[in-house]
Amino acid sequence: MTRTSPETAVPDAPVGDGPTARSGAAARRWAGRVGSAVIVVWGAATAAFLAQIAQPGDRATAVLNLRTGQVQERSPDELAPINAEYGFDRSAPGQYLDYLGGLLRGELGTSYQQHRPVWDVISEQIAPTLALSVTALVLAWVLMLAWVLLTAGRGRVAAGWGSAVDSFLASMPQYWLGVVLLLGFAYGLGLFPVVGGSGPVALVLPALTLALPLAGFLAQSTRTEFERVLEQPFVLSARLRGSGDLAVRLRHVLRHAAFAPLTLTGWALGATISGAVIVETVFTRRGIGRTLVSAVESQDLPIVTGIVVLTAVVYVVINLVLDALYPLIDPRVTP
Amino acid sequence: MTTTIETSPPETVPARRPAGRTAGAATLVLAVAGLAPWLLAPGDPDAIDLAATLRAPSAQHWFGTDEIGRDLYTRIVHGTGQSLTIGLGAAGVALVLAVLLALTATLTPRPVAAAADRVIDVLFAFPTLLLALLLVSVLSPSPRTLVFAVGVGVAPGYARMVRAQLLGVRDSPYVEAATALGHRRRRIVARHVLPNALRPLVAVFALSVGQCVVWASSLSFLGLGVAPPASEWGALLEAGRSYVTVAGWLVVLPGLAIVALAVTATAVGRVLATRLEPGE
Amino acid sequence: MRPFRARLLLAGAAALLLAPVAGCATGDRVEPAALVTPAAASDTIVYGHQQEPPCVYGGWIEQAYLSGQILDNVVALDDDRRVVPWLAESWNVSPDGLTWTFTLRRGPTFSDGTPVDAAAVARNFDYWVDGGNATVKAWIGQYYDAARAVDDRTVAVRLTRPYPRFAENMTQPYFGIQSPRALDTRTAEQNCSAPVGSGPFVVERWNRGSDIALTRREDYDWAPADAEHTGPALVRRIDWQFITDPTARTAALRSGALDAMYDVQAFEWRNLAAEGFGLQRYVTGGRPQQISFNTERGPFTDQRVRQAFALSLDRRAAVEAVGKGVIPYDGNGPVSRSTPAYSEQAAARYGHDPAAAAALLDAAGWRPGPDGVRVKDGRPLEVVFPYAINRTINQDGAAIIQALQRQAESVGFRIRLVPYPPSAAAAGAYSGPGDYDLSIGYWTAANAGILHVNWRRDLPGSPNKANSAFYDDPALEDLILRANSEPDPARQAGLYRSAQRYIADRALSIGVYDRLSTLAVKPGLRGVRQEQSQGGPIFYDAHFA
Repeated sequence: MTRTSPETAVPDAPVGDGPTARSGAAARRWAGRVGSAVIVVWGAATAAFLAQIAQPGDRATAVLNLRTGQVQERSPDELAPINAEYGFDRSAPGQYLDYLGGLLRGELGTSYQQHRPVWDVISEQIAPTLALSVTALVLAWVLMLAWVLLTAGRGRVAAGWGSAVDSFLASMPQYWLGVVLLLGFAYGLGLFPVVGGSGPVALVLPALTLALPLAGFLAQSTRTEFERVLEQPFVLSARLRGSGDLAVRLRHVLRHAAFAPLTLTGWALGATISGAVIVETVFTRRGIGRTLVSAVESQDLPIVTGIVVLTAVVYVVINLVLDALYPLIDPRVTP
Repeated sequence: MTTTIETSPPETVPARRPAGRTAGAATLVLAVAGLAPWLLAPGDPDAIDLAATLRAPSAQHWFGTDEIGRDLYTRIVHGTGQSLTIGLGAAGVALVLAVLLALTATLTPRPVAAAADRVIDVLFAFPTLLLALLLVSVLSPSPRTLVFAVGVGVAPGYARMVRAQLLGVRDSPYVEAATALGHRRRRIVARHVLPNALRPLVAVFALSVGQCVVWASSLSFLGLGVAPPASEWGALLEAGRSYVTVAGWLVVLPGLAIVALAVTATAVGRVLATRLEPGE
Repeated sequence: MRPFRARLLLAGAAALLLAPVAGCATGDRVEPAALVTPAAASDTIVYGHQQEPPCVYGGWIEQAYLSGQILDNVVALDDDRRVVPWLAESWNVSPDGLTWTFTLRRGPTFSDGTPVDAAAVARNFDYWVDGGNATVKAWIGQYYDAARAVDDRTVAVRLTRPYPRFAENMTQPYFGIQSPRALDTRTAEQNCSAPVGSGPFVVERWNRGSDIALTRREDYDWAPADAEHTGPALVRRIDWQFITDPTARTAALRSGALDAMYDVQAFEWRNLAAEGFGLQRYVTGGRPQQISFNTERGPFTDQRVRQAFALSLDRRAAVEAVGKGVIPYDGNGPVSRSTPAYSEQAAARYGHDPAAAAALLDAAGWRPGPDGVRVKDGRPLEVVFPYAINRTINQDGAAIIQALQRQAESVGFRIRLVPYPPSAAAAGAYSGPGDYDLSIGYWTAANAGILHVNWRRDLPGSPNKANSAFYDDPALEDLILRANSEPDPARQAGLYRSAQRYIADRALSIGVYDRLSTLAVKPGLRGVRQEQSQGGPIFYDAHFA
């Protein structure tokens, strides 16, 4: 149930077919996967378009007010060029077709405020967000593994504390954690820069803010599996063969227990955009998240839409990659 | 937090007894604070005292005061109701939506089911906060919008979970046997599939209340939440952020309240999960 | 053994997590060293600003602050509020007051190499009123007729009515001159992110979401007459960073990451001064943070109800409690205390008098209701009060508004606060007569001509959406028009004051507090000034000691 896409695990693989039949089936499965990936992106793009249409107020007025910094009604004369520029004067289905056509050509539209292609805006901001997401993910895994290895299967007290800390971490609002870390370690102790920055030191607190709740969450699903595997006969036999405790935990238990959180990780990387929205705001960092918040605040919808579509694309690509990887990790999964 | 909500909820771990008792006590406190806040804090949460602004916690003001001299303890206690209502409401919206989508995706004729399946997948591709932000930008900020946006944002994860549950039960040997015995489909669904698939949702609901409170407070934090002077916890936190260097309590304490609520909801969810597990 | 180790680890983790919490819960900030170390000599000033505008140039004050570094004006306002030469070396007004003739100085060029000539200045006038800058249009739209180049260095601007303070208004950075070639040949995107002016700095690079790097023009030699030096700017670069969170901005200044910052929080003022930072405060002229009443619909159409509302508030106490002596209380609605022709009388019109407020409400037919909210004809005295949070109203302002809400409720109002995000503001939400009973906002200006911008009638032929009280009164408009065109300064001030009293007597709007433009500057950085028409920082003379 934690699989990232419903097509991932296909338990009823054809049995007894020849290699050609098998590869034909695999090709069909892959065609299906790619097909549903395309549908997901198309659906996300459509939802984003509908959000634009449903926007309260007149869009041309909003564009004009954004450009001038004024808040007021506008006359039809003022609005006409804007309507023509963005095609607001066309029918909704016409605008939708234009929009989809643009997406097919790889165009995400033009920002209302910055007069620039959305693609330029996004590509300018994506690198810091990627650095943050990947660092946070790695950190979350390291913290989670250390914590689970230390506490799982070591008696009731340790296990109780272990899972209590898991839920505590997983329940922490990121913005709160961020502010508290900032308050303690940047404002108070002065160990880290208080704003922006691009070096690795500047990445520590933001990454930690994303990583701690994520670690708690991953730990919750790993711990159950870890404790179950620890009871398995093959673990006992490994111990009997004289393997040390840490070796058993690392070599035998972890390999089995890590599968569940791994399936989540692919998804988590795509979804760290949620966290980035918060973390980049708290730490005054550049990135997609802060761009998104300010675009939502200023109703710069082409940017919002662009980020939505991009997120959907990242999501489906990661899942396709993971689908390809699962059979390598766990031979029971059919490619 | 983001993480917990956006995927299917974590597998439930059998609750340990002391945790269960603590969770019970915490639930009781939250319920009292939510339903009868004046029992815990008799003061007026909106009463201002311009002569006592930004006071540190003391015997007189247990949690200190804010920038216009309001008592933070009273405000947090009186904010419980609104925070909980938003959490319960959003969790309700999320589960209703999730169940509807999942039912359509599993128990209707093929084209409809396939379409619902795709809808779930598409929604799931949206990170929760992105979906919620999109909704808030279309609807104007208000408590109702908050409930709806968070509910919709969280729903896809649960829809996938419920769908998996329904599929599991639908394809179980037990139901297959019932079909083989010639029972009618509708009867099987009503008698066997639904009860078995939906039972775990009680626990999931408790879990999601905590997560929804955290999400809602995130939107409040981004300035898209509840209007003042309401003391919803996320709004308290947001308002306190500008004063964090001189009045840290304004941020730390409401944050702890949110964490406490979320942890309690998780614990309650686990207790319920163990209790409701058939055969345990 | 194992559980013990786990417990130890847990304790460690908890301590780590709670350390900052414990540290701040007591309210002690870690005190920085008594005096901050002076800025080291550098050729770059790192400046922290609070908001990032979408474009460098525009009609919003945040844009004026930025474009003021890049564009030169025809004239400047010196510290004594006199209009002094900049791109123009002299100017005169025709006897009928309708034609302003500016003689430009020889030599200035735009950064694209084209000369700053009369045709360029005339072209900018047309650009502004044709939609290039809505704020400029709000100021001169009712007065401007045409601008033409008489010769290379002489521009004649023809007005429809006399406007003696025309040049003074032209000192605002919205009137910054851009290269016509850039306006005509470059894309909107280019003119948005790097407008071409003749100023001492040019945009080197805009890292959206982070900062704008400005570099000086080495050939700049036409500073305004009130500058401390001539020639190029003293520092090579300005790193203009955008740091929205005031706490982070202040911390960045303290940590040495910034050399100067904008918008000091009231409660930090004294601390920063004690730590050795240089503090500058400019009370912006024009309209202060003013509450205007909806005089077209709802309970505030009744003058007695407006007056009762004003009397129910202890505005001074609310402002002083939150403002900590830094934010000045201002009782005058239409015009702030730093504006010439400010009326003390209008400012003092309404004190805190709940009994009088109650009597007025009784007289207006609003009787005390069961839940403390007054009622008339079965309708409660509930009013809607939206405000653009984080755009026109900062956190200090939001706190003040909540205190006012509480005060007004004690005499029987119920006030529904609606803080709306900048997005809603942009889409024109809460701007129509059906959208609010009370609204709050400021409008910076160099003189009381702001009365004309804010109180001119909203007519079909010449709309004025800046009239936020929806007040339609030919008598008031006539008074303001006469003031605007009065050439004698003393008589003009008298007319402006009468207009303020007129507004105060009818309680059309009441003042709350003055909008500030504040700077904190590291010791060692000298010569940072505040521009006198809008309050933005000027870095042309700035240098490290």
